[in-house]
Amino acid sequence: MEQVVANGLYLGAQYALVALGLTLIFALMNVLNFAHGQMYVLGGFVTYEIYGQLHLPFVVALLASAITLAVLGGLIERFLFRTVIKRSVREESTMLLAAGIAYFLDAVILLLFGEKQRGVPKIVSGVLRAGDIIMPYDRIVVGGLAILFIVGFILMMQYTKPGRAMRALAQDRIAAQLMGVPVEFYSFLGFALGAMLAGLVGGLLVTITGVNSGIGGPISLKAFLMVMIGGAGVVGGAIAGGFILGMLESVGLTVLHAYGDITYLVIFAALLIFLAIRPNGLMGKPWG
Amino acid sequence: MTPILQVKALTKQFGGLVAVNDVSFDVQPNEILSVIGPNGAGKSTIFKLISSFLRPTRGEVLFKGERISGLAPHIVARKGVVRTFQETTIFKGLTARDSVIVAHHLRSRASLIGYYCETGFARRDEEAFGRSSDEILDFLGLGEVKNEIASNLPHGHLRALGIAIGLAASPQVLLLDEPFAGMNHEETSHAVGLVRAVRQRGVTVLLVEHDMAAVMKISDRIVVINFGSKIAEGTPAQIQQNDRVIEAYLGVEDESIGF
Amino acid sequence: MSRPLRLAGLAVFLLAVFLAVPLAIKAAGRTDFYYTLSSVALLAIASSGVWLMFYIGRINIGQGAFALMGGYVSAILVTSAGISFWLSLPLAGVFCTAVSILVGLPILRLRGVYFAMVTLVLTEVARLLALALPITNGAKGITSIPAPGAIGAFGITLVPAFDTFAERNIAFYYLSTIMMTLCFAALYRLVHSRIGRIFVAMQQNEELASSMGVNVPAMRILAYAISSFLGGVAGAIFIAIAQSIYPSSFTVNDSINFMLNCFVGGLRYVFGPMLGTLVLYFGWDLLFAIGEYQLLIYSGVMVLLMLVLPNGLLSIRFHSWQRSSHKT
Repeated sequence: MEQVVANGLYLGAQYALVALGLTLIFALMNVLNFAHGQMYVLGGFVTYEIYGQLHLPFVVALLASAITLAVLGGLIERFLFRTVIKRSVREESTMLLAAGIAYFLDAVILLLFGEKQRGVPKIVSGVLRAGDIIMPYDRIVVGGLAILFIVGFILMMQYTKPGRAMRALAQDRIAAQLMGVPVEFYSFLGFALGAMLAGLVGGLLVTITGVNSGIGGPISLKAFLMVMIGGAGVVGGAIAGGFILGMLESVGLTVLHAYGDITYLVIFAALLIFLAIRPNGLMGKPWG
Repeated sequence: MTPILQVKALTKQFGGLVAVNDVSFDVQPNEILSVIGPNGAGKSTIFKLISSFLRPTRGEVLFKGERISGLAPHIVARKGVVRTFQETTIFKGLTARDSVIVAHHLRSRASLIGYYCETGFARRDEEAFGRSSDEILDFLGLGEVKNEIASNLPHGHLRALGIAIGLAASPQVLLLDEPFAGMNHEETSHAVGLVRAVRQRGVTVLLVEHDMAAVMKISDRIVVINFGSKIAEGTPAQIQQNDRVIEAYLGVEDESIGF
Repeated sequence: MSRPLRLAGLAVFLLAVFLAVPLAIKAAGRTDFYYTLSSVALLAIASSGVWLMFYIGRINIGQGAFALMGGYVSAILVTSAGISFWLSLPLAGVFCTAVSILVGLPILRLRGVYFAMVTLVLTEVARLLALALPITNGAKGITSIPAPGAIGAFGITLVPAFDTFAERNIAFYYLSTIMMTLCFAALYRLVHSRIGRIFVAMQQNEELASSMGVNVPAMRILAYAISSFLGGVAGAIFIAIAQSIYPSSFTVNDSINFMLNCFVGGLRYVFGPMLGTLVLYFGWDLLFAIGEYQLLIYSGVMVLLMLVLPNGLLSIRFHSWQRSSHKT
C-alpha cells in the first residue's frame, strides 16, 4: 500500500512538472501545445547524447536539455505562433499550428535519433528500503529534483518580476498591456519556459524509463489529461492534475492488473463522468 | 394595470456570496424602468436572472403572470422578453442589415426540415425580413450604414445595432444592458432618443445602468440596488431626494449623479 | 453564387470525377490511384463532419472514434449477423448518431480546449474499448470481411456484387466518390439554409443566439449527430475496402488529421475539407518516394502553409467574396 503511494508520488512529481509547462503556455497564450510530448522526448534525447554518449556529468546534460528546449520554444513562439496569431481569423488556428509542429518535431526526432529505445546509465545506484517501501535511489533523486523545480517555478512566478508579469498577462491580457507589460516578450518567455519544463522532465526521466521517438504523442495525451483533471491555466490545477494522474496510474497498475490492461480505460471513463459534473476541472478557468 | 413583469423575492447566491438578496419590484406595461446602483451592487446579476441566463436561488420572475425564471433562455426570448448585450459582440462578419435579417430568421417558427428544404418560402421570407430590417434600421438612424460590416461600425452605431437586433425579435419587454456605458454627452443624448423611440413602438423597456444623468432623463421609474438589496424605488424626482440613495453614492462625483 | 454558376460547377465536378479521372488513370496505367482517391473521398467525408463542428464553434478531435465505431458496427453486422453491407451502412451511421447524442449531452456545453481535449480522449476510449470488448475480438480484430454484395430489385441488378468487378477498386472508387458528392451536396444545402445561419450565429456568439430564440443546446447536438453520422459511414466504407478492422484502424492521429484537413482547406468554406484532404493525403502519398524525409517535408510544408495561408487554401480565391453576404 505504501509502495503504491510512494510510486504515485514519484510519478506525480514528474507529471506535475510536465503539466506545469503545458498549463503555463495555455494560460499565457490560450494555446494548447500539442507538441509538448515531443519537447519532452527531445529533452530526453539531448540528455541521452550528452550524459549517455559523451559521458559528461548528468547536471550538464540536464542543463543542455533545458537550454535546448528553451531556445526551441522561443524560436517556435517568435516565428511561428506569433505570425499565425496575427494573421488568422479563427482562434483555433494556434492549436492546429501546434499539431503541425508536433508532426514536424516527430520527424526531426526520428531523423536525428532513430527509432530505437534509448537508455542511460543510472545516475545513482542502490535501493532504499524503508519498512515496506522499496524505492531505488535514482527515483528518489529524480523525484526530489522534480519537486525542487516545481517549488522553484512557483517561487519564480510569485516573487520575481518576470513571474509577476506573466501572471498579470495570464489573468487579463488587455489590462496587462495597459499597465505597460510587454505582452509579446512575456508570451515569448512563457512559451520558452513551458518548453524548457517539458525538456527538463524528459531529461530527468530518461535516466529511469529511457526514451524513444514514439512516445511524444502519448505523453502529450497524458499532459492533456492532467490539465483536464486539474483545470487549464492554473498552476495549482496542473500540480494537482499531475499528482492525481500519478496516483491513479500507480493504483491502477497494481489493483487492476488482474483484469488486464484497462487502467487507462477506467481513468478515461472516470474522467468523462468527472468532466460532466465539473467541466473546467478542479480549478480551471472557464473558456471564452 | 397588471404589471407586465414581476420580480418576486429574487435571490441569487454564489457559494457563500449573496449577490442578489430578496429583490422585488414590478414593471408596468410600456414604461421605461431603470435598475441602478453602484458598481458591484448586483445589477448585472439581476439582469441575467430576469432574462433567465441565470437561475435564481430563491424567488421568481413572472412575465404576464407566467413564471419565466428557470426556463431556458431561448424560450424566454421567444415568449417576448429579449435582452441585449453589454459587450457589443454582434455577428462580426455580417453587414448591419444581414445581422438584423438573421435575427428575424432565428425567430421564425418553421420546423427544422422546413428550414432545410426551404425554397419559395425562403425567398419570400427573406424579402419580408429584409423589409422589416430596413424599417428597424431606419427607425434607429442606421439607414445610412446598413450595408457596412458590423465590426467596422463606430461604438455608438454598434449599440444601436444591438438594439435593432433586439427589436427584430419582436419583443414585448426589451432588457438593455448598460446602453449608455462609455458614451460621451452627445452620444448619450442620441441613445436616450433611441430608447424613447423604442418605447413608442409599444415595447416595455427595462434597463440596467450606471450613468445617472441618462437614467434621470429617461426613466419613468427607478429601482436602486446596493449590495444586492433594493434600497429604493420610485420616480426620478423621488429617488433624487432619497437619503439612502444619496448615501449609497457618497464619494461619487456630483457630475455623474446629475442632480 | 448564382444558380447557373453553381450548377455549372457541379457539372464540371461530376464530369471530372466520374469521367475524366478514370480516363486519366487508364491512360497512365496507375490503377493504384483508385485506392488513393477512394481514401481521399472517404477521409473527406469524415473531415467534413469535423468541419461542421468547427462551423458551430467546436473543435472536434474525436472523429476517429466514430470512424472506428462505424467500421466495427458494419464489420460485426456483416460477419456475425450476415446482414448485407448496404444495410449495415446506414445502421452504422445511426449507431454513431445515437452514441454521439448520448455523449454529446454532457460534453457539448464545454468549449474551446476543454471540448477539444475531451474529444481527444474519446478517440482513445474507442480504441481501448475495441481492445477490451469481446464483441470486437480484441487485438486480433475482425478479418476476412466479404466484399459488398449486389443490390437488386425486381430481379434486376442495380449494383453488381463487388467481387464481380475486374478491378474491385474501381467499384469502391465510384461508391466513395458518389457518397462524397452526396455528403458535400447535403452539407452545402445545410450551410446555406436557415439552419446554416443559426450555426453561424452560434459560432459567433452563443449567448446572443440564445437571446434571439435559438435552442442552442439542441442545435449543438444536431450538428454533432450529423458529424458523427458522417464519420461512421466513412469508417464503414473504409473498412469494406480494407476488408479487415483492428482497434488501431483509426487512431488519435487520424482524428488530428481530419482536423488538419479542414484547416488546410479553410474553415470558412464548405469545400475546404475536400480540398484539404486531397492536398494533404495526396501530398503524403506523393512524398513517399522521398523515403525517410517524408514526414519532415510533409509537416514542414504543412506548417509553412499555415504561416502563409492561416485561413486555409480557399481563402485566396474567395477573398473578394468576404464583402458580400455571409454566405460562403
